[in-house]
Amino acid sequence: MSDHEERLAESLSALMDGESTELETHRILKEVGSNSSAPDSARSKWQRYHMASSVMSGDPVAKLDVSAAISAAIDAEDSHRINPLQQFAGAAGRFAIAASVAMVAILGVQQFNDVVPSNSDAVEFAQVAVDTAQQNNGPAIQFPSGFQPNIQARTVSAGGNNKVSQQPLAPLIQARQTVNQQHSEQELRAYLNDIMLKHSSHAALNSNQGMLPFARVTKIDDRSGDE
Amino acid sequence: MLVKWLKKLKLAALIAAVFVHGSLIAQQMDSAYDLMARMAKASKELSYRGLFTYEFRGNLTSVKVVHIVRDGQTYERIVHMDGPAREVVRRSDDMDCMRASDMLLRGSVLKINDNNYSHLQDFYNFYTSGDTRIAGRDVSVVNVIPKDKYRYGYIIAIDKETGLMLQSVLINGQGKPMERFQFVDISIGVDLNNVAFTSELSTSDDIDVDQSDCLEANQQAQVSSSEWVPKWLPPGFVLSSYQPTDESGQESLMYTDGLAVFSVFIDSAEKSGDLPPVDANLGATVAVLTKGVFNNQRYAICVVGEIPRSTAREIAKAISPLNASSTP
Repeated sequence: MSDHEERLAESLSALMDGESTELETHRILKEVGSNSSAPDSARSKWQRYHMASSVMSGDPVAKLDVSAAISAAIDAEDSHRINPLQQFAGAAGRFAIAASVAMVAILGVQQFNDVVPSNSDAVEFAQVAVDTAQQNNGPAIQFPSGFQPNIQARTVSAGGNNKVSQQPLAPLIQARQTVNQQHSEQELRAYLNDIMLKHSSHAALNSNQGMLPFARVTKIDDRSGDE
Repeated sequence: MLVKWLKKLKLAALIAAVFVHGSLIAQQMDSAYDLMARMAKASKELSYRGLFTYEFRGNLTSVKVVHIVRDGQTYERIVHMDGPAREVVRRSDDMDCMRASDMLLRGSVLKINDNNYSHLQDFYNFYTSGDTRIAGRDVSVVNVIPKDKYRYGYIIAIDKETGLMLQSVLINGQGKPMERFQFVDISIGVDLNNVAFTSELSTSDDIDVDQSDCLEANQQAQVSSSEWVPKWLPPGFVLSSYQPTDESGQESLMYTDGLAVFSVFIDSAEKSGDLPPVDANLGATVAVLTKGVFNNQRYAICVVGEIPRSTAREIAKAISPLNASSTP
């Protein structure tokens, strides 16, 4: 790890803890804005750290990275393009703003998940909707032709409603699924569960705080209990 | 002449004031330290039951706790009152288990208090900061301030009558509270004789932490029995528990300075698999996972504890095998 990378990693941690200086924040924004997807890039690290934090605190893990789409959308907006201030600052200025939006977007997804735990319900609901559609389509072939329009009309109208409500969002959220994150999330959660419990039982014996450390593991335990 | 005399008097008064003030500070530190020592004793010897809240980063959970000491045996039970039903039971009446966990509960913790507690003052300052009321009881507040940046500080409220800790707030380097543990209601010592602590267990088998305690409790832990050694430790921390490689290939070393605790887990490549490097925190608990290659073997080294992130990272960096030919 080079000197620069190490300093950057420290700044990242500081920013996550809300303890970074303004200078550090700017440096991270610049790095994250470079949009590299290499595993060692600041961007990947930021995502990974946040995933780990989410796993530890038992929050749903954000699987969407909408930052690129939002940056692009903002770049495309006229008001931003002709802003004299930005013209003055040149490409660098635009870049910084796009990057900060990217940061906010990643943060935002985390926050959003915190506030709206029903997110997974929505996914479930969508899943169910797809299932019913398939079920309806299946038997429909066996029905006499006269029955088909009724059943399909219902299915289509439901699907249509969904599409309409999603349309304004569609160009903005071209969500990129990060497959790697999903893959290791389970593993990571199981591992963190395990070591947190072990650590807590050790801490309960050695920290003079009695059973207090067991209060710390509730969240993680709850998650493992859910699955 | 008079002026000169007055000047001397002023100087004398000033010196006297400094001395008096100095001894006052010393007294204050002594009494704060005594309170802490009393607290450590009380938490092991007293029976109590109550409700406490645990708060971190805006999350609040309430927990019911029963702690009974009878005939030299300890029974502890905590029940989470929010979310999915969950409880942890630990008791020291299982004959095989009792020796180990009882030794750890009384031996290890007390040993740290009696023998190593004086060290604690090398790394923390203790100040009393007035009285207040917690859970309807009068308490003395002790500020525990670390002398270095390797550990966190505490604000601890100790029951005046019994010495039990009723509140503990973990404070980071910036003086911000990171987590808070506080009783809202507690009964100490009274009417706990009627609580059956053998039969209740059958209903609660959610988490069997006691099992792992039996396996982990190794009072005679020696650093030399491990093939892994930290080349650096934050000053004041001593090895409190060591578990040799288990069937899953995980080895653990656990350290405490008497207040703060951290654990080091070393996993061989098979178990740790594709775990990504982790740098995460949950409230006051930080987890730093790094990958390392030693003697041509891949390992995952994870440091977990209520310590600053930078300390955890330093420790993780310093862990290596005794006979390391490190090729990071």
